[in-house]
Amino acid sequence: MLALAGIYPAVAQPPAATMPDAGGIDQDCGLTISGKILDHDTRSTLVGATVYIPQLNRAAIADEYGNYHFHHLCKGTYTLKVTYIGYETENFVIKLSSSTVRDLQLHTDATTLGTVEITGSHVKEQAQSTETLSGRALEETRGLSLAESLKGIAGVTTIQTGPTISKPVIHGMHSNRVLLLNNGIRQEGQQWGTEHAPEIDPFVASEMKVIKGAAGVRYGSDAIGGVVIVEPSPLPETGGTKGEVNLVGTSNNRQLIGAGTLEGKLNNLPLSWRVQGSYKKAGNARTPDYYLENTGFEEQNFSGALGYKKERFGSELFYSQFNTKLGILKGAHIGNLTDLLYAIERGKPEGADEAEFTYEIGRPYQDVQHQLLKAKAYLLTGEAGKLEFIYGLQRNLRQEFDAHRNTAAPALELNLTTHTTEAIWEHSPIGNFSGSVGASTIYQQNTRKYSDFLPHFTGLTVGAFAIEKWRKDRLQLEAGLRYDYKHLLVKKYEQNRDLQKPEFNFNNVSGTLGALYDVGYHLTFGLSATSAWRAPNTNELFSEGVHHSSAAYEKGNPNLKSEQAYNFEASVDYYGNIRFNGKLSVYHNFIDNYIYLAPLPEPQLTIRGAFPAFRYKQTNATFSGVDLSLEYNLLPKLTLDSKTSIVRARNTVTDDHLINIPPDRFDNSLRYEIGEIGKAGLFKNAYVTLGGVYAAEQTRVPTKGDEDFAPAPDAYFLLQAEAGTTVYFGKQPIEFGITGNNLLNTSYREYLNRFRYYADEMGRLLMLRVKIPLDFSKN
Amino acid sequence: MKNLFRPYLALLVMGSLMFTATSCSDDDPEPVDEEELITTLKIVLEPVGKTQTVTGTFSDTDGDGGNPPTANTLRLEANTTYNATITLLDETKTPAANLTSEVEEESDEHELFYQALDNLNLAITKTDRDNSQRPLGLKAQVVTTTTSSGKLRITLKHQPNLKVGANEPNREQTGLTRGETDIQAEFPVIVE
Repeated sequence: MLALAGIYPAVAQPPAATMPDAGGIDQDCGLTISGKILDHDTRSTLVGATVYIPQLNRAAIADEYGNYHFHHLCKGTYTLKVTYIGYETENFVIKLSSSTVRDLQLHTDATTLGTVEITGSHVKEQAQSTETLSGRALEETRGLSLAESLKGIAGVTTIQTGPTISKPVIHGMHSNRVLLLNNGIRQEGQQWGTEHAPEIDPFVASEMKVIKGAAGVRYGSDAIGGVVIVEPSPLPETGGTKGEVNLVGTSNNRQLIGAGTLEGKLNNLPLSWRVQGSYKKAGNARTPDYYLENTGFEEQNFSGALGYKKERFGSELFYSQFNTKLGILKGAHIGNLTDLLYAIERGKPEGADEAEFTYEIGRPYQDVQHQLLKAKAYLLTGEAGKLEFIYGLQRNLRQEFDAHRNTAAPALELNLTTHTTEAIWEHSPIGNFSGSVGASTIYQQNTRKYSDFLPHFTGLTVGAFAIEKWRKDRLQLEAGLRYDYKHLLVKKYEQNRDLQKPEFNFNNVSGTLGALYDVGYHLTFGLSATSAWRAPNTNELFSEGVHHSSAAYEKGNPNLKSEQAYNFEASVDYYGNIRFNGKLSVYHNFIDNYIYLAPLPEPQLTIRGAFPAFRYKQTNATFSGVDLSLEYNLLPKLTLDSKTSIVRARNTVTDDHLINIPPDRFDNSLRYEIGEIGKAGLFKNAYVTLGGVYAAEQTRVPTKGDEDFAPAPDAYFLLQAEAGTTVYFGKQPIEFGITGNNLLNTSYREYLNRFRYYADEMGRLLMLRVKIPLDFSKN
Repeated sequence: MKNLFRPYLALLVMGSLMFTATSCSDDDPEPVDEEELITTLKIVLEPVGKTQTVTGTFSDTDGDGGNPPTANTLRLEANTTYNATITLLDETKTPAANLTSEVEEESDEHELFYQALDNLNLAITKTDRDNSQRPLGLKAQVVTTTTSSGKLRITLKHQPNLKVGANEPNREQTGLTRGETDIQAEFPVIVE
């Protein structure tokens, strides 16, 4: 709130001299951009194509020779949005520092329709691998959790706690080592817990982007394994009211989802708005042989956004609330080690044969609320560039109710409040250089009730960074540097009597170097060296107690130092071609002071018997691997889509494998674009997909310590199919989709599921999706 | 060059935010008022027709972690029948809270199991019943014969809807594998 109040007076009177429209007055505003609009494949000119610059609200039409031109432009960054019937609309971002001639090439709809499933931006922005899920690929994931939605990206898998909790894993890393950016704000829940799912409603997103590998310079601490960026679509810029209704229903756990969005822009004011909400309810999930008792969940989410946008400045206010109540498999509440061994021997959860379907959620369960308030303001500083300021306030309330208390109070309550600020100044291109500098702060306070498992703490992180890119012809070089300081004050009771107040200070420098070479012919090579750091989390420093689902006793270690990751990546990107497209990325990641739970030689004896004991320790680790995505058009309408994710992780001090690393995964599918069917093309954009996922057995498990209780589960193959179409009822389109997962009803277990010791994964699941786009501006 | 001042303005805004954030009240936390927790299992063995009552205490008063639980040795007479009574206590409270009645009230969800281990020669029969006439085990009869020594393990299991039926075969062995362990106490025993 304060941010807005502070920015407004400054932006209220933009100096007229630097207005882009006031061309000719300022020396730097006499620039021209021109060129031809061409068909990418035939190189023929596209007469009548439209080029639109949203920043200036100006448009031009290609003349009889295919030429377009804009005059009287100031220095700056512009988006050229090119549209032409029968071609994909494309956005070209141009940093203008002198008058430029640039030919813009479009791809025909027919060739791209079948090939683009996960759309990456056609011109790579940075050397490091990123992948984006948007458009139809994102629509197909509607109804899945955030982490499950991202599984379609090579190199991304999930770590689960039963069917209700899943978290994204990037290149074998998760939780504290993956940063989530929700609408530009770093998500601050209790990410350290593998049984704490991200508190983000995927229906908010119109795009999900994954940065693979360390990205600490731009995003700050914790971006060790990668970053997941969840972005809503920009607020509308044209008048009228639009909306969308999504309905999803599934078999198996009989999940029902209703989600809706309504957005618009006031006609005479630069004000736009959006309201959005979703409701989800699911009952007990079913494996091929039995119901998983108490695995239902209920979720209610809503958000609202308000935007104010003028030519040179804008601001945005966003609020969202996420509420979930989710059941934890009843049989997962394990006593001591003996109980766990009995559970493993039993082969299925206790009472599984008597379990029935119900929507009711009993103990144990989690009740989590996450609120986000975001205020953002930006200012185009004319020759100087663009200044952006973002403030975020998050409140995360987590209550966990265990199985054996009958009081109304939870067994654990954590209340985390986080204030984040970020100021970024993106400077106008100077010669071949472009870049930005920024500063950010995180202030965080955690309070706890009912349990001392995670103590009270206050943290303050301050960081500053600079990133520069140099681009000439086909080569782009990048370099960046960041410094962060973190102060942590913990307030912890020893034996619930003496209050201890240990303090910690962490200083870290992160850097990034990258090179991108555009060979032409739709081929680019990228090389990057990136780094990131992370301070030990309070749970790693101070947790002390039993983790009931795994029957393990965890001990914190207050002597831990910061973890530092150095990631090296080489990639080849072959994109935008008619027959064949592909992306190959090879990476090697060194992590110094890698924090992990090391088994202790003696079990912990308690009143409930013996528990295997683990203590947080530091070692050096390496993560290396390959991500490969391929698309091959076998026939004009038939596409083979193949994704491979391979990761190897080692503890280099003990010279052993690391535990809980995703097994090799191969995802292959055939997609047939039917296009129109029925009389007068009643069904449009129809398609069918048939494919499957094969996950190998993880044979690379630790052999030098008793870290696991049972061998890794067997390899499995899951058959999947999908179909979708758009039906027009008069002018109203309705999109239908149906997805089938685990169609052969295979009994299998996932290595990265905490319940894999005693419970199978979900059996066959059919999911029906209906999407109704609404437009109230016509008629 | 008014423009150049704007970044500083933003930093100022940020600074003010930091100030408001850090000036939030930052009180010390209260100690956690922990739920009643069983810290101690007491067994009183009264011999039938004899006078020498034997008492055993298994306790871990500092909770999980810290010092391991302790137990004293039970010295029993050979060829004797004892009536055993179990008491469960929370000794972190003053006076110690008696939690036995909680198990009695939820007798349909709980059961104690007795195991004579390491060549210990004891015959144990539970004498109390829950509401469905299934053994509970807060009371038991312990019969000694010849001299022997070993360990007596007493396990309290929480078994909501999981208790083994009264007449099922092997009900002791099956029962041990079910549910969640609330207490596992072990006493060294010498029958002399």
